[in-house]
Amino acid sequence: MTALLSVRGIEKSFDRNRVLTGIDLDIAAGEVVALLGENGAGKSTFVNILSGALGRDAGRVVFAGAETVFSTTREAIDAGIIHIHQELSLIGSLSVMENLFIGDYRTGRSGIIDRKALAAASRPLLERVGAGHIDPRRTAGELSTAEQQLVEIAKALSRNARLLILDEPTASLTPHEAAALFAVVRELKSRGVAVIFISHRLEEVFQIADRVVVLRDGGVVSDRPVAATSREAIIADMTGRAFALGAMPPAIVPEGAPLRLAAEAIGDGAGIGPISFELRAGEILGVFGLVGAGRTELLEMLCGKRAIKSGAIRLASGAAPASPTAAWRSGLALLPEGRKTNGILPNLSVEENIVVARRQAGGGLVARGSERALADRLWRTLGIVAAGPGQPIRSLSGGNQQKALFARCLAADPSILLLDEPTHGVDVRTKGDIYRTVRDLAGEGLAVVFVSSELPEILALASTVMVLAHGRRTLYAPRAGLGENDVLSAAFVEAA
Amino acid sequence: MEGRSVVRFLRTRREATVLAMLVIVFLGLTFASEFFLTGRNLSNVARQISVVGIVALGQALVIIAGGIDLSVGSVIGLAAVTAAMVSAATGMPSLGIVGAIAIGMAVGFLNGVLVTRIRINPFITTLGTLSIARGAALLATNGNPQRFDNWAAWLGYGRIGEVPVQFLLLVALTLVVAFFATRTRWGRNVYAVGDNARAARLAGIDVARTRIMVFTLSGSLAGLGGLLLGGMLTNSNPNLGLGYELDVIAAVILGGVALSGGRGSIGGVVIGAALMGLLRNAFVLLNVSGYWQTITIGLVVILAVGADSLNRRREDD
Repeated sequence: MTALLSVRGIEKSFDRNRVLTGIDLDIAAGEVVALLGENGAGKSTFVNILSGALGRDAGRVVFAGAETVFSTTREAIDAGIIHIHQELSLIGSLSVMENLFIGDYRTGRSGIIDRKALAAASRPLLERVGAGHIDPRRTAGELSTAEQQLVEIAKALSRNARLLILDEPTASLTPHEAAALFAVVRELKSRGVAVIFISHRLEEVFQIADRVVVLRDGGVVSDRPVAATSREAIIADMTGRAFALGAMPPAIVPEGAPLRLAAEAIGDGAGIGPISFELRAGEILGVFGLVGAGRTELLEMLCGKRAIKSGAIRLASGAAPASPTAAWRSGLALLPEGRKTNGILPNLSVEENIVVARRQAGGGLVARGSERALADRLWRTLGIVAAGPGQPIRSLSGGNQQKALFARCLAADPSILLLDEPTHGVDVRTKGDIYRTVRDLAGEGLAVVFVSSELPEILALASTVMVLAHGRRTLYAPRAGLGENDVLSAAFVEAA
Repeated sequence: MEGRSVVRFLRTRREATVLAMLVIVFLGLTFASEFFLTGRNLSNVARQISVVGIVALGQALVIIAGGIDLSVGSVIGLAAVTAAMVSAATGMPSLGIVGAIAIGMAVGFLNGVLVTRIRINPFITTLGTLSIARGAALLATNGNPQRFDNWAAWLGYGRIGEVPVQFLLLVALTLVVAFFATRTRWGRNVYAVGDNARAARLAGIDVARTRIMVFTLSGSLAGLGGLLLGGMLTNSNPNLGLGYELDVIAAVILGGVALSGGRGSIGGVVIGAALMGLLRNAFVLLNVSGYWQTITIGLVVILAVGADSLNRRREDD
């Protein structure tokens, strides 16, 4: 079998930092290759070089039999290499069909858009990716994430894609939507399109990939057919050590632990609730649900960001917070979902990012000495890797940013920790670190609400499990005695 | 090690680029004109810098917090006539001082409330108050200049030795605002809000209060600027400060503050204001047409910001 893409000895450095140390890779037409690695292993740099977004320092790329050097993404797209980024890049204010034919809109020389012809040309493209139900005249920004993703793939097909690079395509999809996406990928595969698939979810890799390539420290550490590898082997390749999730003892709430928070039939008056639960010191409440089930909305109500229209929250430390500012003051710390948009203050230093929440409860003057000491201590406890506390947080890897946000929560010395998808988009090693930290904190008497869309995580960590579906509580029970199926069937309950 | 960090500072901070330009212009003028290094001339330059610099301190905080305040020029005019009219009506110049700053503070507070509570974009809000404040100044005076030559005006025209009082105020306020911005919780919150407002809110910062505070400070400093400008001329014209917002914003941007918010330093802003003052002085001393002065200021802003973004792009690769 001749390779569609053949890469030899790709190297890339940023300043003195060697990010890629010589990558070799062959991909045949119709092959699906999973590209795995921790954050910072070089995956993004590598695919950005393939798609022309970055230049390379050394190495050769042969694509479809021709030696290529793409200096712009335009050239790569024209050759048939299309990179679909994690952050989707449709223009939200244009229609689906305008997005599909963006740039020329099939106007010919007149420059006038023929809406009928454009819609007609769009339909077969959408049908090919299983999105025939989407009206091409709809505004792209109104579509769900999954639908937008399909439109992006349809757009790739309209450009005769021969190699499709999917960067964490399932990160914000429900399992159902992800399954639909995989069907599309298989369909493309059968038509001879090669796919590079980047994901942090190993289950998906086993569902979809033909081969698994693992990067570590800028080099390929393993390249095996999917049948010849295992979950454990992949994790060992990625981290250089075995993974500890399964090894943790079950979490149990200590007998007679004091009540920290009680939610009594709370609702936001807009489809979420009524939801009731209790949270005790040392308890880890795992909250599971599909996208749109109301997990984030629940946390927003707890931290005072979303108004509670019915029911009430009682805190051991006083009244329910009316704003995030008040929530932090009364001992609730929030690690929000969406590190970049809701979490980091990108241009501020790592240290300021850590102390910012704690500072709001202090006096007017910034106590530099004690802030530095605190940041230093948390930094070491959590194992943050960075050049120094004064470094802007944006220059850290995703996993280290997440740890810094974790440190922000701990710096405020909370009694209740609200974690929204704390392991979203972080590498396996950081995930392990976060799991251990959460367990340790609960052991010290912190009450934790742990929201996640990854079931293994919930089952391994939680002492109590709550499942939401369509804004309602469909399961609320101690972890002990629950199986995977109990939780899943509660999450997939049909709307009443 | 020490040497290397200085080089790094010079290469990466816009403040440094502008400081270097300032030094070059200063040395150039020293050789090009025998009048430049005279006490009288330097004292004039110091005066020209002062009002722009003082108003730029507040503007810098607004821009760092992710906003913009276009109303400062009109607030200068409104505050100047307020100072004159209040002292004339009450016979108490001290009330004139209070009135000028209070009217600026009120407009600033109004800007802050409109931006945060009614959620009108800062550009639009302050474009509106720019018009309203100017109109109010004209309405109150019927368009006529007001005499302003009591002791409150001395803050604007007075000198201690050769040093203008308003320049001393600029130095003192720079120190206070720089301390505020770097060493107080509220100052650091200004940076956090400008950097990522959503994240700042979820981290417990009261974003609305922070924004109202910076607009109020900006208005108050513009009010003080109006008092000084009216005092300097011993005559408060309702049209004082016309177009000042552009000079002030230029000084802030020149000084290294990012228009997108979250980045910049107070020291840089004063250097930016000083560079603009020196350039103006250069044209007078070298007897070049005033029209060139306007063009040059524009070129310098584009040059300084352009050099900075080229540098930044290299870092991003």
